[in-house]
Amino acid sequence: MNILPTLKCMTVAAAMLASTSVLAYAKDITISVWSGGTGPNDTYRLDAIEIAAQQLEREAAIRGEDLKIKVEKTPYSDWESFKQALTLAAEAKKAPNIVATGHEDIGPWSQAGLIVPIEDYVDLDSWPLNDIYENLMEIASFNGVVYGIPQDAESRPMFFWKPHMKAIGYSDADLDALPQKIQDGGYTMANVLEDAKKMQDKGLVQPGYGFYPRTSNGPDYWQFYTSFGGTMEEDGKLVFDKAAMTRAYQFFADAVKDGVTKKNHIGMPGDQWWKEVATGKAGIWHGGTWHYARLVKQEGLTNFFDNVVFSLMPAGEGGKANTLTHPLVYLLTSGHEKEDTEIAAQLIKIASEPRINVLHAVKSAHLGISKAESEIDLYSSDRWAREATERLLPFANAMPNNADFGTYWNIMWKGLEASWTGAKTVEASIGDVEAELKSTLGDKIIIR
Amino acid sequence: MKTSRMLGLVMIAPAAIMILLFFLMPVVLTGVFSMTNMTTATGISGGAYQIAPHSLNDLKSAMPEIAEQMSQPRYTIDEVGLKAVEGLGLDPGIATELRAKHMGEVFPSRREVERMIKGLDQRPSTPDVKKISEQFNRSVVNSRFSSKEELFSVLDTLGFTLTDGQKNSVADVTYTGWNWTTENFSRIVSSPDMARVLFNTLLYVALVLVLFNTTYAMLLAIWTHYMPSAPATIFRSIWLLPRITPVVIYVLMWKWLAWDTGFISVLMGKFGYEPKNYMLDNAYNAWVFVVLINGFIGASMGMLVFSSALKAIPKSQFFASEVDGASRWQQIRYIILPQMRWPILFVTCYQTLSLLASFNEILLSTRGGPGKATEVWSLAAYHTALNNYAGNLEYGLGAAMALVLVVIGIVLSLGYLRIFNYGTLVSRPLIED
Repeated sequence: MNILPTLKCMTVAAAMLASTSVLAYAKDITISVWSGGTGPNDTYRLDAIEIAAQQLEREAAIRGEDLKIKVEKTPYSDWESFKQALTLAAEAKKAPNIVATGHEDIGPWSQAGLIVPIEDYVDLDSWPLNDIYENLMEIASFNGVVYGIPQDAESRPMFFWKPHMKAIGYSDADLDALPQKIQDGGYTMANVLEDAKKMQDKGLVQPGYGFYPRTSNGPDYWQFYTSFGGTMEEDGKLVFDKAAMTRAYQFFADAVKDGVTKKNHIGMPGDQWWKEVATGKAGIWHGGTWHYARLVKQEGLTNFFDNVVFSLMPAGEGGKANTLTHPLVYLLTSGHEKEDTEIAAQLIKIASEPRINVLHAVKSAHLGISKAESEIDLYSSDRWAREATERLLPFANAMPNNADFGTYWNIMWKGLEASWTGAKTVEASIGDVEAELKSTLGDKIIIR
Repeated sequence: MKTSRMLGLVMIAPAAIMILLFFLMPVVLTGVFSMTNMTTATGISGGAYQIAPHSLNDLKSAMPEIAEQMSQPRYTIDEVGLKAVEGLGLDPGIATELRAKHMGEVFPSRREVERMIKGLDQRPSTPDVKKISEQFNRSVVNSRFSSKEELFSVLDTLGFTLTDGQKNSVADVTYTGWNWTTENFSRIVSSPDMARVLFNTLLYVALVLVLFNTTYAMLLAIWTHYMPSAPATIFRSIWLLPRITPVVIYVLMWKWLAWDTGFISVLMGKFGYEPKNYMLDNAYNAWVFVVLINGFIGASMGMLVFSSALKAIPKSQFFASEVDGASRWQQIRYIILPQMRWPILFVTCYQTLSLLASFNEILLSTRGGPGKATEVWSLAAYHTALNNYAGNLEYGLGAAMALVLVVIGIVLSLGYLRIFNYGTLVSRPLIED
């Protein structure tokens, strides 16, 4: 009988021991995640990590670990202040654990040691990473190492305002066939300017609104270079194709000369641009797949498909119809505890789960990252997601991951701006671009 | 005497430290940065050594054989690796199976060796797979070393026999950090864009300074001098509003004025003109707005300085001149202006420096556009070093641009002192001698 108290004692002691062992397992981890270009439609870039954290906590609980993950989310609506904040934070060793940014940052950031390869932390052959489109995984790699996991995909189409197109003589059937015609090269950049002019001459749109491009620098402008036969990179070396760039610059100079694009178009207020393309003030314009979300949700263009046709960027002289995909990638930054980075990598992996990623894709009108995602009802029943994926994604190029691409980009943009605004002739711009590329990049760029 | 000097030094120490940290250090650091090729890619705090495929490309032309050896497949199942795996404290069956089935196999990539490891009977967890694969890594490609010595020692252990010269060339092409260079300055001198930006800057400073900060400010001071005091005070206070309104709101009001749907567009619409963005419509308009936005702020400062200087002129001089029948213009020309040399020098000098360095109003209103029409030097330096869409922040070049601005500022100040004959302005008054 007197063994009972001893037993009781032992039980209590065992229980206490057990509880301490549980306590020893209890882990509180804070994972911070920042994302650029994140407006009200793109919140799932961050929320997905939070959802993933809940899932990982459950998985840990089943393994008997008490894991608590707090996700700190910081969205930046634009890119410039985001990149400024992130690079400076990283230099000060205060970078967040996870960052969702454009894939082109992988080049400079990996060279600077700001990011660590995700392939060191996750099994790329396991679900859901093994289902992500191969070309997107390539875009998330640099120097043969997989640094990031694609967060979304997109494409950048040309848009046509249907009522105006009809008014200049296109029938409904013509408009339905237009995307295919553009893909086959039957409708070119020259036709864009022609039709824009016709719309203006008929008084459908005001002067300067026929062709209404993006109002600021962006990856979009590389599409024009591609349309006119340019190549951005070959075998790891940047390429400046003078003839193709001349034709691309000339296209904008001609648009201004014909009066279909405004000379001072660059730098106009973005909000005004959105309102105008959503209300038929512009004839033809270009943008991204995610524009659909903003046009429909924020700008009130609910009958989008009745008013707008979208297609690949038409071919120009010497080139092919194309589009550009500029996937965002989740990257892991350096300088954190290994354990935290491991958890962050797990979160990225879980956030790439089709069911989670599809929330972002459909809400923000981006494109899915994996085959399985396109089969989820939410995605496949969304007309925009389905049509944009089929029509655009197979023809998408991407900007190269190259540490010097940013420098090339700045110089290219400066030249385009100069020929667009008439500050320089196209020939003079090209000459200056070539001179500056030679002096800044030297033999890191092939000039031909 | 000595102790009071010491005390003085002690008293001033906190302020001196502040000045050193917040005034002198930034300038010194700008000077240091300007002599480097620092960018986002090189980082600020120093680099590492990384044998990436592109650095191997660079090596190929100089030492093709070594470059070829370095790019050889990286994962080899060998005895050294197996011993290391045994030391990891994992299931012993893993090493045994690897030894028995895979000894001597070579894999070109991490992914492939990991696929093999995952196929083992004792399938390890993902973190363990990563640990095991690392033990068989027999290549330096993509590895990152924090120092030259570390790089060389790994090259030695991997059996590369390199001369010191070769080692140094390998170190040079694989270094990811920044180097000392004077290239930034040659880029500034040779670039036609920089010349354009410099011209913009001079135009901007000259227009705002001459039209508003001095001339208009002087006019305001003289007008209010001849006004009754109550309306003069009200008038001056109104002119202070642009300076005391937060700059973001102040510029936003200008934008409202100039937008497509703004006041000017609505007004001109009544006369049948199409609405347009008047501020960014063309370079000429943008300049008018930039000068007005800055001028209205700048005029108030000169007005205050000149008004108080005017107050200091003895009233008797005005009375005497009026007795002599002097006109207003004669009073201004022969009494006011000669005594305003010092305040004019001060305002000119001070405002030149502040205009050279200021870009916030331009950033908020035109962002340097349309095109690069209103991009001034300080804004261009900011765009280059700290704010750039493509994300490649060029700290070195930006710092060099900022340094140029410092030099221009110093040269101009010295020039002003000479023109206004600073020596006589501060010479001891004869009366006290």
